[in-house]
Amino acid sequence: MDDLLQEFLAETTESLAVLDVELVRFERETSDATILSNIFRLMHTIKGTCGFLGLPRLGAVAHAGENILGKFRDGELEVTPYAVTLILKAIDRIRALLAEMEATGSEPLGSDQELIGEIDALASGSETPARPAAPADLEMPSFGDEGFPVAAELLVEVAHALKHEPGALPDPAMPAQGAASVSAPVPPRESEAKESATASSSIRVNVDVIENLMTLISELVLTRNQLLQMQRGQKDNEFKVPLQRLSHITSDLQDGVTRMRMQPIGNAWNKLPRIVRDLAVETGKKIELTMQGAETELDRQVLEMIKDPLTHMVRNSADHGIEDGVRRLAAGKPETGTIALNAYHESGHIFIRIADDGRGLDADRIRQKAIGNGLATEAAIAAMSEQQILQFIFRAGFSTAEKVTSVSGRGVGMDVVRTNIERIGGTIELSSVAGRGTTFLIKIPLTLAIVSALIVEAAGQRFAIPQLNVIELVGVSDRSEARIETINTSPVLRLRDRLLPLVSLRGVLGLEMDGAKDRFVIVAQVGASTFGIIVDRVFDTEEIVVKPVAPILRGTRFYVGNTILGDGSVIMILDPNGLSNAAGQLDGSDQAGAQSKAVHDRNGDQASFLLFRAGGCELKAIPLELVSRIESFPSDAVEHVGGRQVVQYRDHLMPLVPFDANHRWKETGHQETLVFSDNGRCMGLAVDEVVDIVRDRMAIELSSGMPGLLGSAVIANKAVDVVDVGHFLTQAFADWFEISAMQATSRRALLVDDSPFFRNLVAPLLTSANWKVTTASDGVEALKLREDGQLFDVIISDIEMPNLDGLALASAIRRDTRWSQVPLIALSSHAEEGDVRAGRSAGFDEYLAKSDQTRLPENLTRALRLAITNRDGISDEQRWAS
Amino acid sequence: MGVVSNSVCLIVDDSRVIRQVAAKFLKGLGFQVAEAENGRAAVEFCRKSVPEFVLLDWNMPEMDGITCLRTIRAMDLEPRPSVVMCTTENGLAKIREALEAGADEFIMKPYDREVLLDKLVQIGLAERV
Repeated sequence: MDDLLQEFLAETTESLAVLDVELVRFERETSDATILSNIFRLMHTIKGTCGFLGLPRLGAVAHAGENILGKFRDGELEVTPYAVTLILKAIDRIRALLAEMEATGSEPLGSDQELIGEIDALASGSETPARPAAPADLEMPSFGDEGFPVAAELLVEVAHALKHEPGALPDPAMPAQGAASVSAPVPPRESEAKESATASSSIRVNVDVIENLMTLISELVLTRNQLLQMQRGQKDNEFKVPLQRLSHITSDLQDGVTRMRMQPIGNAWNKLPRIVRDLAVETGKKIELTMQGAETELDRQVLEMIKDPLTHMVRNSADHGIEDGVRRLAAGKPETGTIALNAYHESGHIFIRIADDGRGLDADRIRQKAIGNGLATEAAIAAMSEQQILQFIFRAGFSTAEKVTSVSGRGVGMDVVRTNIERIGGTIELSSVAGRGTTFLIKIPLTLAIVSALIVEAAGQRFAIPQLNVIELVGVSDRSEARIETINTSPVLRLRDRLLPLVSLRGVLGLEMDGAKDRFVIVAQVGASTFGIIVDRVFDTEEIVVKPVAPILRGTRFYVGNTILGDGSVIMILDPNGLSNAAGQLDGSDQAGAQSKAVHDRNGDQASFLLFRAGGCELKAIPLELVSRIESFPSDAVEHVGGRQVVQYRDHLMPLVPFDANHRWKETGHQETLVFSDNGRCMGLAVDEVVDIVRDRMAIELSSGMPGLLGSAVIANKAVDVVDVGHFLTQAFADWFEISAMQATSRRALLVDDSPFFRNLVAPLLTSANWKVTTASDGVEALKLREDGQLFDVIISDIEMPNLDGLALASAIRRDTRWSQVPLIALSSHAEEGDVRAGRSAGFDEYLAKSDQTRLPENLTRALRLAITNRDGISDEQRWAS
Repeated sequence: MGVVSNSVCLIVDDSRVIRQVAAKFLKGLGFQVAEAENGRAAVEFCRKSVPEFVLLDWNMPEMDGITCLRTIRAMDLEPRPSVVMCTTENGLAKIREALEAGADEFIMKPYDREVLLDKLVQIGLAERV
């Protein structure tokens, strides 16, 4: 019967999780008979099953709970928070008993009489004495807590009843009679089919079996890698093809088993409604928890890791974020606060959003606290942007609650949350608007068991670095452009326009220090901080199986585990998180930010430009940021279809647009092409010759009246024509990609900037991300669009503009109802703290610096996502209904 | 004691544990056992093959036992399966309702092997040796 008990524990635990959720729902919608009958049935099943397994204690608690639920159902008992709390208590008791049973294998001794007494008192206290005495209601006398009616007793009654009701006896006429009376309630067929599909298409497998399978697959992957490595050095032989097949099958098998380990995130969310409910009762607030995407699946190991952080964050939102009803009403918000959870898959990651419409984070208080707790000096804080200040909540020893309540403040803070999330290769982003709420966006990988890692060497030893954290590799030597420099004894790397704090692997691991001169820097990212790891050599990337570190090595901060390589050697997997802390000690990431800014100021507003020739001998320039690749296609690969040119590119037909309308397509040789792409769409710009890539300040001196050109500029001491990429993008897309169909699905953005250069820089970024862009050159022009009745999903605006500047525009937008809900993003060359604050108070949701050219696409994407999710999360639930 | 033929019995219950317990009893009696987790799945099963005997729970999600019973009876299956309703519902009205809907027998949960065998003997699916 041991298996059976296991099965019972599993089944009942599932039922309890559903019960928790349903009860909280029911408390809100007491009139919903479907929820109640579902709750009743679940409790009833638990009771019934206890009877089978001879679990009287558990059965008695379930029976008491069922008793109250029955009275709810029959309308004999009013649904009060007290009654629901009692049922929840019964559920908790059942859960506790189950836990003990799981540990000991048998039902624990003891009594639940107190709880049952309380429940029964409630049940009998409000029981109406006169029950409807319909003849159909010949109920058995209620039995105490000693158990359930014995079947035999009932049989006597049945026999007795049947004696007086001969017509009820089954007789040959029955089937026909039955058929006649039941034709109506036959349910519709389509839902039956759906049900049976789910009934027969899944089986239950013990977690251990899957874990074991996963381990075996891991070994298989290793062996496969080993074979591949052996084959790599060989000439083609008869093993090559079967080995490739083995390799593919192994990968598929790995995918399959990984999928088996997937569980819906709803499993981690199940207990949240209950937690929020209890918290709301305790604090006297009104809180609604909405959950979207509960069916989003992720690896159960990942699920386990994020369960506690999620719970903590939801608790935080409920406890600190949501204000009490009085304050909410005073602030013009609905009395009931909302916490919205949303999970979805995107590009191999899971995104989880936790948004509340509470008071938002108080930057001033965080500022004071950070100073008070000695996390930063006043001077350092004064130089920080609001966004940087908010990040302090992720620092160890920081809690925003003024007093520690029983609810949150249990010693775990957001620092633990962030550490847990980063430990599994995830990131957490935060955005908060005072008085409007806080949004966290968590991004985590789908699985942890097998990861892709970069194998590196330091002092003759090999190490693995999870590929997730690796951004790029830089070869450094005294001769090369990238050099390791020293600032205050800390090594740094000057990489493009940034100074990167470095950590030497030999140094932190205490390995021998003298070695090769030519070295590599692995640029790694952990959360928001980027740093470099100095290593001696870089090998290949490999799929590695993460094996946990032995307990004896737990104390070291620099390893997450170890693995066996294809050649059979055992190596350590580095923990980028730990290394980043080591880099942080030498050179904190905030400081690094300040330094990179300093470099910026020296270099001015520099950007990389691609110089090329096309349509004449004048040099043309295009911001390198916009070019995704430079390709050279053989002339005969260019196909001429209906007066247009296309080329096969990465399994797609890519339209080629000549720079010059009179371009003569070459018969032989190669066609130099600049490829612009995003979201799977590509277009090629045919040019004559790619000349150079240079870095320089951008300054358009003469504007151009010619289509396709923005104007002239002096770049790298040469006069060049700056190309308007937007012009060519629309040429390619106009009919090739059926822009009308695209417009129907794309969101609309309004871009307000007085500089045509910037409009043309930003517009293609937006178009390529499937935004339909409208431009305006100042605030007045933007507001005219509002008068014309145009609607937008986001507005991105410069601050300094003639006629009506960005701040005035934002205030005007927020004042009037027509555009008041639209997310506003500021894009300004002035992004000092005061500017950002002024922007926010004028009504901007996000504030971006123009100066950080290289990171503009990335920052813009982030700002769009945050602004939209903030607004969406809110407007969906109509919390801002004005 | 013992059974019977090699007949197929369908156990309909939303609890896996109870299905497992019942399956153990019935397999011990020589039945081939099929399972369904609610009334709708049971009806679907009956559309494909006709069980000799259905052990039918009352309280289930999606489609409850009594609706399932009425549906099965309305299907006029050949040969007509014997249906034993089982539930903890303890009203005589319930028993009458079940019998009127076409149940052959009625069994109280929790039941044990002996009680179940009794029922099977009564409806002629098993005989005591």
